[in-house]
Amino acid sequence: MTMKAGTNLEKVLESGAFAVTAEAGPAKGAVTSVIERKGEMLKPCCDAVNVTDNQSAVVRMSSWSSCVLLKRLGLDPVMQIVVRDRNRLAIQSDVLGAVAMGIQNILCLSGDHQAIGNHPDAKGVYDIDSIQLIQMLKGMRDEKKFQCGEEISGEVPIFIGAAANPFAAPFEYRVLRLAKKVKAGADFIQTQAIFDVAKFAKWMEMVRDRGLDKQTHILAGLVPIKSVGMARYMKDYVSGVYVPDEVVTRLEGAKNAKEEGIKICLETIEQLKEIQGVHGIHIMAVAWEEMVPHIVEQAKLLPRPVV
Amino acid sequence: MNAQVPKPFEEIVGYLEGKKKIVLMGCGGCATVFHTGGIKEVNEMAEKLAKQGKEITGKIGLPFAVFACYLPMSSMLLNEHKKEIQECDAILMQSCGDGAQAVRRYLEEEMGIVKPLYPANNALGFSSGGPTSFKEECQACGECELGKTFGICPFVQCPKGLLNGPCGGTTADGKCEVDPTRDCAWAMIYRRAEELSQVDKLLEIVAPHQWSKAVRPRRLEVEPIDLMEELKGTKRVIEQLGV
Repeated sequence: MTMKAGTNLEKVLESGAFAVTAEAGPAKGAVTSVIERKGEMLKPCCDAVNVTDNQSAVVRMSSWSSCVLLKRLGLDPVMQIVVRDRNRLAIQSDVLGAVAMGIQNILCLSGDHQAIGNHPDAKGVYDIDSIQLIQMLKGMRDEKKFQCGEEISGEVPIFIGAAANPFAAPFEYRVLRLAKKVKAGADFIQTQAIFDVAKFAKWMEMVRDRGLDKQTHILAGLVPIKSVGMARYMKDYVSGVYVPDEVVTRLEGAKNAKEEGIKICLETIEQLKEIQGVHGIHIMAVAWEEMVPHIVEQAKLLPRPVV
Repeated sequence: MNAQVPKPFEEIVGYLEGKKKIVLMGCGGCATVFHTGGIKEVNEMAEKLAKQGKEITGKIGLPFAVFACYLPMSSMLLNEHKKEIQECDAILMQSCGDGAQAVRRYLEEEMGIVKPLYPANNALGFSSGGPTSFKEECQACGECELGKTFGICPFVQCPKGLLNGPCGGTTADGKCEVDPTRDCAWAMIYRRAEELSQVDKLLEIVAPHQWSKAVRPRRLEVEPIDLMEELKGTKRVIEQLGV
């Protein structure tokens, strides 16, 4: 079968294996060791590693350059692009540069609004939205054309990703929004962190009813919780994340919150494996990347397939 | 309308420092509605400035529906008050920036008068509603997308200006991540699509917006209207409505 980009992530997903990806936040500085340490840790247990693009609207090393550092270590990076900071010219230029450096998985996002980050006085760009971004990348790859319609010289082989939040309101609209992203050209989807499996399962049912799981690869998102404080913080302050009261209560009642957090994560993975149409998991261990190898091992998802 | 609020009085006094003879000019349009430059506010400003030792040599209050920014109307009053304007040290404009600049331009280009001219208000831009509450709903982008967004503009209602649906930050009860006291623009759009039984229309991908239409400054040439005829028409309609 012909590959769109031929990245490790694409090959694993196309092979039908249950994929494992993880997120790595880049350094809040110019040191290479931060992302490299995370890369070394995640390499044996992940098919690809995502690098965030100034997540929470807080400045960090660019996703682009951090991906280059991971690529040098032999990982398959997923570059995130948010439409908050760059217009259509800058994004297309960065995409060409990324592909030239061997970064071919690109995740298209709106991005957290600058007002909630560490530069609230910044001017947001939002020239295009995340769906227009997906469509633009598809045009670059499939038609070899820039957004303006001009020809691109040579190929732009990219594997296009997008995000989905099955828990945000309006619930019924979220499946339509996924359908729109698939229509625009999303090859894979990463969902928001799942704590309410029943609600996610209901969403997946709606996804299957539209046949969307056959047109794109859905990776279910996970955030291992480190403490009761973290659970409460995510519940109250992290936009887009929904932590049910039961999860908070369970952590409060546990002797060791860290162990309980991992246990919840592993139980969730087991339940997700059973949901038809879920093609893998995406672990977002915020400032807790060292737990990912343990989680993947305990979830019996090792060794990772060689494709 | 162009919503507006008055500047702090101290800022205005600062502009007028060293200026003795002041001409005040208001606006019978938006500034009257927002109480920033109606005839009443021009009189009030005159009293306050007089207490600061200013000599108010001219008060150009514009009656309701006479717009400072519409020169066929405001120029009649400017010509009427030519002498005071010529002799003053400064003009204080109790209008939006449009009215202020239209007047400055007319004075310079048509009447050959160059005088310091200061704003008394801060304009907030297009807004609709009234008589008490006003909301910002149109940003005059030059390429209206309302036909694709169920009559609600996401450029104004969504802080990210998303044209193809909500971001992932909408709260579980449909509020905006940037300001949880506000409804998510796309939750509102979805509700309307449901009410109109056109939810499937939301699957259509809206192409990137033509921001070239918003490159400033924009200019426009139009055929002039017959002002007196139009005013007669307004009077007729109001009478017919029995207001």
